[in-house]
Amino acid sequence: MWDNRCKIAVSGVGYSKVSRIADMPLAAHALIAVKEAVADSGLAMSDIDGLATYPELPATGHAEVDGISVVSVNCMMAMLKLPNLTWHIQVGTTNIGGAVQQAVNALLAGVCKYAVVWRAMHNPRGTYQNLPGAYASGATQFTAPYGFGGPGQGMAVAYTRWLEKNHQTRDKMATLAVTQRKHTQHNPHAYFYGTPLSREDYFASRMVAYPFCLFDCDIPVQGAVAIVLTTAERARDLKPTPAYIAGYGQRLHFEVAGRIGSLSSYMEGGSSSAKLTWERSGFSPKDVDVAQIYDGFSASVIYGLESYGFCKEGEALDFIQDGRIELDGELPLNTFGGSLGTGRIHGLWHIIEGALQASGRAGSRQVKDANVSFVGASAPIVTGTTFIFVREPY
Amino acid sequence: MSDWSKVTRPIPVPNEWTKPFWDAAKRGSLELQRCQSCGHFQHPPYATCLQCMGIDLKFEPVLGAGAIYAYTIMYHTGDKRFASAVPYASIVVELDDAPGALMAGNLLGAEYTEAKVGRRVEVTFEKLNDDITLPQFRLAV
Repeated sequence: MWDNRCKIAVSGVGYSKVSRIADMPLAAHALIAVKEAVADSGLAMSDIDGLATYPELPATGHAEVDGISVVSVNCMMAMLKLPNLTWHIQVGTTNIGGAVQQAVNALLAGVCKYAVVWRAMHNPRGTYQNLPGAYASGATQFTAPYGFGGPGQGMAVAYTRWLEKNHQTRDKMATLAVTQRKHTQHNPHAYFYGTPLSREDYFASRMVAYPFCLFDCDIPVQGAVAIVLTTAERARDLKPTPAYIAGYGQRLHFEVAGRIGSLSSYMEGGSSSAKLTWERSGFSPKDVDVAQIYDGFSASVIYGLESYGFCKEGEALDFIQDGRIELDGELPLNTFGGSLGTGRIHGLWHIIEGALQASGRAGSRQVKDANVSFVGASAPIVTGTTFIFVREPY
Repeated sequence: MSDWSKVTRPIPVPNEWTKPFWDAAKRGSLELQRCQSCGHFQHPPYATCLQCMGIDLKFEPVLGAGAIYAYTIMYHTGDKRFASAVPYASIVVELDDAPGALMAGNLLGAEYTEAKVGRRVEVTFEKLNDDITLPQFRLAV
């Protein structure tokens, strides 16, 4: 087990209002989320001395303009003018989960006391995936000429591989979409709060990239979320009940760009990250009380459940049936609605929900007696990270 | 059947790793990068052998027969250049000669509903312009 387990905790969390259109600059969304997270902790902004993010554009082919389409550490520094800032970083080899992990490391190293991590997502005008122009260079030279455009198709090919190799049908995925939308109705911050989804709606929806229909894809939104991390001792003096980080991991497998459809790459990415998390925390999948698994596309949940070890390969779509992932089920899953319910904010919202469930702060969607709370933040293949939060330090 | 006649495909831009692949395709030959130390084929081309860390890589002809490893049927018309072909099958092929090397393509000359994991396919060539010919796939005869 990891010597540093439960020495760092998530304290406050914050959200901007997610919307379909860019109603205000993305930097303002990020600022609102950060202010709210700091206030939720009961801290003053001047207490914050660490900053971390992953400022990647969520959609391909658009201009990166700091404050408009991304919110970098520099942008946040300019807005906050923190008098006591001592540490900051932007990560690249993992998604936002890597920024959270670097903040954990910085707190353990004692180079900051209260770190803020945010993820701000831009919804550009026009087509979300602005595809290559007349020419396809780099890795796209082997994919774009064949009409492989956005990430949806890249995920879809691995999904057909999974379905047909395992003699499964996409019909069973309706349970995930419908159950997560049900959970969404307990999350007032979510885009689809107030909009239920029936099985009939799922089956009637238009196909995007078979096997993905519209409700297998998270909806692009403009918005931001943020968290405050600090040491366990300091967290205990703050307003919220701390969610202790018992372990974390990151994917150790890398798939070269342009090689698409490899199911084994998803599995290796996920299992390498989860293995570190299980070993460091001392827990195993059967100990988990509640799980958040990245669902930018629904099939990510399959790869997550299987590669993290919650079920065997080929069984995930059967695993999610019969009420198992309901709030009172055996493994309540994506209890905040997931990205399919909140809108596309990548993995930090999964991390927030993992922390809220562990600290008993999840409101009407709180899973009873949740102690061990698992998070798989972002798709396992390229950018995956995993976490375990606990209510009781050990 | 998907109508490809009105589709304007993005033109591949060869680089130092990939030029031999496109030169061969122009000649109507499918050549993949192969490690001269361990014999491993890989695609897309890479700077080094991803199997054995070898650095001596050459392009060698392969037969171009294989099976559909995975596929998707595209219905979304976000990319207007491909709109006239919707719905169309984008496939990923694993060649018999080069296990593990995954090649993207379209399923030409067949209904998109013919795309199934494991279905036998063979390479065919689609000339885009005087410089670039695209390896493509059709159902094996």
